Amino acid sequence: MFEARLSQGALLKKLLEAIKELVTDANFDCNETGIALQAMDNSHVALVSLLLRSEGFHPYRCDRGFSLGVNLNSLSKILKCAGNDDIITLKADDNSADSLSLCFESPSNERVSEYELKLMDIDQEHLSIPETDYEATIVMSSAEFQRICRDLMVISESVSVDVAKDAIVFSAEGEMGSGSVKLKQNPSVDKPEEQVTIELNSSVSLQFSLKYLMNFTKGTPLSDQVMLGLSENMPLLVEYKMDDAGYIRFYLAPKVGEE
Amino acid sequence: MATSTRTKKKDNSFIDQLALLENADTERNHQIWARPSVPNIDPNQDPIIFQQFEIDDCVDPASKEPIIRMFGITETGNSVLCYVTGFRPYFYIPAPIGFKENNIASLQKQIERAIHSDNGLNKSIERIELTLKESIWGYHGNKKVHFLKIIFTIKYNDRQLREMTFESNIHYVLRFMIDCKVTGANWIELPPKSYSLRTKKTSTCQLEIDINHPPEGEWSKIAPLRILSFDIECAGRKGIFPEPTIDPIIQIANTVTIQGEKSPFIRNVFTLNSCAPIVATDVIECYDQGKMLQAWRDFVDPDVIIGYNISNFDFPYLLERAHYLKVTKFPYLGRIRRRLQLDMLQVMQRDYKLRSYTLNSVCAHFLALDWYYTSVMWNGCNIPESNSPPMYNREQKEEVHHSIITDLQNGNDETRRRLAIYCLKDAILPQRLMDKLMCLINYIEMARVTGVPFNYLLARGQQIKVISQLYRKAFEQDYVIPALKSEGTDDQFEGATVIEPERGYYNVPIATLDFSSLYPSIMIAHNLCYTTLLDNKDLEKLDNVDYITTPYNNAKFVKVHHRKGLLPTILEDLLSARKKAKAELKMETDPFKKAVLDGRQLALKISANSVYGFTGATAGKLPCIEISASVTAYGRQMIEKTKQEVENQYTIAKGYQHDAHVIYGDTDSVMVKFGVDNLVDAMALGREAADYVTKKFVKPIKLEFEKVYFPYLLINKKRYAGLYWTNPDNWDKLDTKGIETVRRDNCLLVQNVIETCLRKMLIDRDVSGAEEYAKKTISDLLQNKIDMSQLVITKALSKSDYSAKQPHHELAERMRKRDAGSAPTLGDRVAYVIVKSTKGAAAYEKSEDPIYVLENNIPIDTNYYLENQLSKPLLRIFEPVLGEKAQSLLAGDHTRVVQIATPTIGGLMKFAVKTATCLGCKTPLSKNDTAVCRHCKPKLGELYQRQLDSVNKLEVHFARLWTQCQRCQGSLHQDILCSSRDCPIWYMRKKAQKDVQDATKLLERFNHAW
Repeated sequence: MFEARLSQGALLKKLLEAIKELVTDANFDCNETGIALQAMDNSHVALVSLLLRSEGFHPYRCDRGFSLGVNLNSLSKILKCAGNDDIITLKADDNSADSLSLCFESPSNERVSEYELKLMDIDQEHLSIPETDYEATIVMSSAEFQRICRDLMVISESVSVDVAKDAIVFSAEGEMGSGSVKLKQNPSVDKPEEQVTIELNSSVSLQFSLKYLMNFTKGTPLSDQVMLGLSENMPLLVEYKMDDAGYIRFYLAPKVGEE
Repeated sequence: MATSTRTKKKDNSFIDQLALLENADTERNHQIWARPSVPNIDPNQDPIIFQQFEIDDCVDPASKEPIIRMFGITETGNSVLCYVTGFRPYFYIPAPIGFKENNIASLQKQIERAIHSDNGLNKSIERIELTLKESIWGYHGNKKVHFLKIIFTIKYNDRQLREMTFESNIHYVLRFMIDCKVTGANWIELPPKSYSLRTKKTSTCQLEIDINHPPEGEWSKIAPLRILSFDIECAGRKGIFPEPTIDPIIQIANTVTIQGEKSPFIRNVFTLNSCAPIVATDVIECYDQGKMLQAWRDFVDPDVIIGYNISNFDFPYLLERAHYLKVTKFPYLGRIRRRLQLDMLQVMQRDYKLRSYTLNSVCAHFLALDWYYTSVMWNGCNIPESNSPPMYNREQKEEVHHSIITDLQNGNDETRRRLAIYCLKDAILPQRLMDKLMCLINYIEMARVTGVPFNYLLARGQQIKVISQLYRKAFEQDYVIPALKSEGTDDQFEGATVIEPERGYYNVPIATLDFSSLYPSIMIAHNLCYTTLLDNKDLEKLDNVDYITTPYNNAKFVKVHHRKGLLPTILEDLLSARKKAKAELKMETDPFKKAVLDGRQLALKISANSVYGFTGATAGKLPCIEISASVTAYGRQMIEKTKQEVENQYTIAKGYQHDAHVIYGDTDSVMVKFGVDNLVDAMALGREAADYVTKKFVKPIKLEFEKVYFPYLLINKKRYAGLYWTNPDNWDKLDTKGIETVRRDNCLLVQNVIETCLRKMLIDRDVSGAEEYAKKTISDLLQNKIDMSQLVITKALSKSDYSAKQPHHELAERMRKRDAGSAPTLGDRVAYVIVKSTKGAAAYEKSEDPIYVLENNIPIDTNYYLENQLSKPLLRIFEPVLGEKAQSLLAGDHTRVVQIATPTIGGLMKFAVKTATCLGCKTPLSKNDTAVCRHCKPKLGELYQRQLDSVNKLEVHFARLWTQCQRCQGSLHQDILCSSRDCPIWYMRKKAQKDVQDATKLLERFNHAW
């Protein structure tokens, strides 16, 4: 028996919004420790890795590890039927799951709606990016990151990210001109959402596709802050932490040459 | 392997076939090419009779007079070149009113003066005659008027003529043929004393004759033509298409067959460098490129040359290579080229609609079964393993990629032998194709019926055939044809009518009533022709004329007792020829000959219908909208009338069991639901109704009952399918119109699914079975179980610059960047599959080379195939049956099992790490587990067994495919070189190979589980 009750239903709604543009069908791997999802986008340039820890649910019950194959578009449609303050309960039979039942309760408990989503059997290799120590780790406001991506998208489809000791520079060059945004290290304590911290072993300079970054920033509502991890010739890590409940991580392959 | 016994019997079928030929001509130990020697001919006593195959013209260098040249073969097989001199080009102009004989001299002078400024000759007009002729255009009461026939000594340029002329725009050769009653490929008899033999020959022909026209005569048989079929191989460089200035020709394979004989009497290969012997084949080793070309040139003396893509590759390449190597005598071949050349590629492209036109796939299409059965017969074994799917048996041609050719050439005797066998196959196949499809015979037939030279059939369109017939008839009856300057107009007249279809799936017999040859018979019935057209002005001048007024714009035509039109006469000839072919068709039992005869009658039908098209072609030579528009107007009336007559007559009120209802009608046919539920009654009623309605129309218009569709699936206008019955006991075939089975921008999968579903629906009458099948296919597709050869889409790369981006063009560009040599070039058909990409990417960004996809395991965009390829055609055929429910085919439980492939390339792939998942429940495994998670441990044995089973199955499948390929290349001990992209087995073999590897790897994981 699998059962997970999430008091902040909005969290699940936001999560789905963040990944459904990248991935269409995916397996949610459920086990004692929580719910995880690893999936590559169709063109195999980006990877989504998501974890919802069992601690985030009250209660959480999973007797054995199993997978929930879900069409994310369908799930997102059903989740749209849940109110922002609703409590969401997920239930499935962990021995032979062919459907996932969702229950939405309004905070005052006056309205209870139940939905069933037919599950899919998705045969897919389980891929992940090994954890590494990044040469540069930046923590900054997620809204600011989203704005930078949106702004530079006007100029070009790709962005260069250069990280030096005390500043990070996003720059783009296109047919119509060029643009850049520079953020200085800013350990302002009173306004944590404006804080920019840079941890640096060596300076890095990488290029990424803005189209994908824009997709990643759909995770903005999940967290005030975003963490970027960069190493030369390695995939970029974009992480949104959901307090104790878990995290969502996006990996993006760097652009090489003219590609 | 289990297959070994079977393959032993069937091994090397091609070599066996050659060996059989060896037995056939044991008496000869050397293949001789020489023609029979020329008998002694006395021009004063003996006639010369030959069949001409090619007529062209040249100019006498001294007098500038045009000369007709006819190439041909005598009955005994001697080649003849006949020069015809003295045939003068001419045209007509209407004589000015009051023009007299004595005005001719001064007119001639005037014209001469006008022309001489151009050509510097003193005399170019031979004479001018005053003749009585009549213009073909319009009825003027059968009165002939004076025309001036201006006869030239040289060829005139009709573009320089400004005034209204008659018969000036016809080609000199055709003019000659018409005036001398020479038709395409007919027999010519030169009576004694009419000709002289040439002693100083200018060609390789055995007899050269001069004659002053006219020759005459006609027989119907075919002379013993020698048909050379050949193929060349070039040693190219890696990645570059061979260029004649750099890459040598290394082999030329030839077969020569006498028309009508079953097997070639000469088979040889010219090879550069040594080559191991091949059974029943002369291997002629040459050690110098130039000498090889020279030797080949000395060898050839055919009457017909065939091959595959010879006009655009082999011939130009040979000539350019010879020029480069300075083989001076070689261009002489240019003359041989004037012999009848039949490029089978052109024939195929012209006459058949196929997915791919490579020799390989064309042969697979037309020769497959034939070859298979003959080789089975020869090898004396039964049809092998009863249930082995046909794909294992289908004979394919080994395709040696051109990059390997050079390696084979640079190897040893044996590798060159292998290449030679490959080359020889390519030379034999066009010949077999031609025999099988009876191209030559059918073309000769067509040339005779329509009277055009043989080469026009391939090089020119339909119009010239009508023109030839029109001129012939006009010539007989003293008509002259105006030379209109063609000016295209956009005037459109109303076409055929279509009775609105009542869509649905009919599980009762639907009788089909057809007007046989509707348009031609309308023209005959109402005597519609240029010569019968009545002008309103002319009508006032004439009294006592009987005429009809057509439904188009009150156009008027005189009735047949005043004058019979030329077009009706021509049509009657064509229709009677077709009737003859149809009668033969009925007598024939051999299914393939049946198909050929059917092709012939179809060609005649097309020719007959093109007469109508000719009058309607506004940009054509002699458009006459009154005729063509009247024809369609009559046609529309007749369909409507048929519907009314049938629905009024066959009613319960008149004593029939049911009210008949016309559910659909188009151009020349109506589909009637008589309401009866059995074939016997439906056929009886159909026959009765056809006769009943026929009586209401003018002869020879005839409504025929031909067939009953039962069941019948009516999808839309011009889209339907049904089981076709002509007798109540057995159905004839599954007939489809306008349904995606042949469209080439669809993948094979669509074709197969639609065909199978229709078959299930209509033949088995199992609608739910068809539904199940469609669902199963969709489910397989989503799980990547569909073989990739089914998903390949091909499209011809027809121009280098497309305004809108297209998948095949973009792919060709990308492939060029990867490897310029193997990338498709202009004119090639590009094969591609659609692969997964970012959301919202256009199809042109997602096209990919199938081989690249296979090698890198790139995921196929299965959703694209479901939504853009399968969904519409599937819905179309299922909607009439299932209605609203049809949508459930595309979404439902069967779409919920998917497989997502992991590619070996792609931006993130080099960083990603695979985590093993449980083979039982797909949960990611911790490091200690190798095969299953701890929950699935109890099932370990069962899972192992399942995996072992699947590995075994895959291995057998792969081994079968592998031996199939080895058999195809004709050797079981050598590695397979073939990389034919047309061959479904190739894709299957590649896929099977990978599947085996993957499955074996999975199996190995169990090794650590214990």
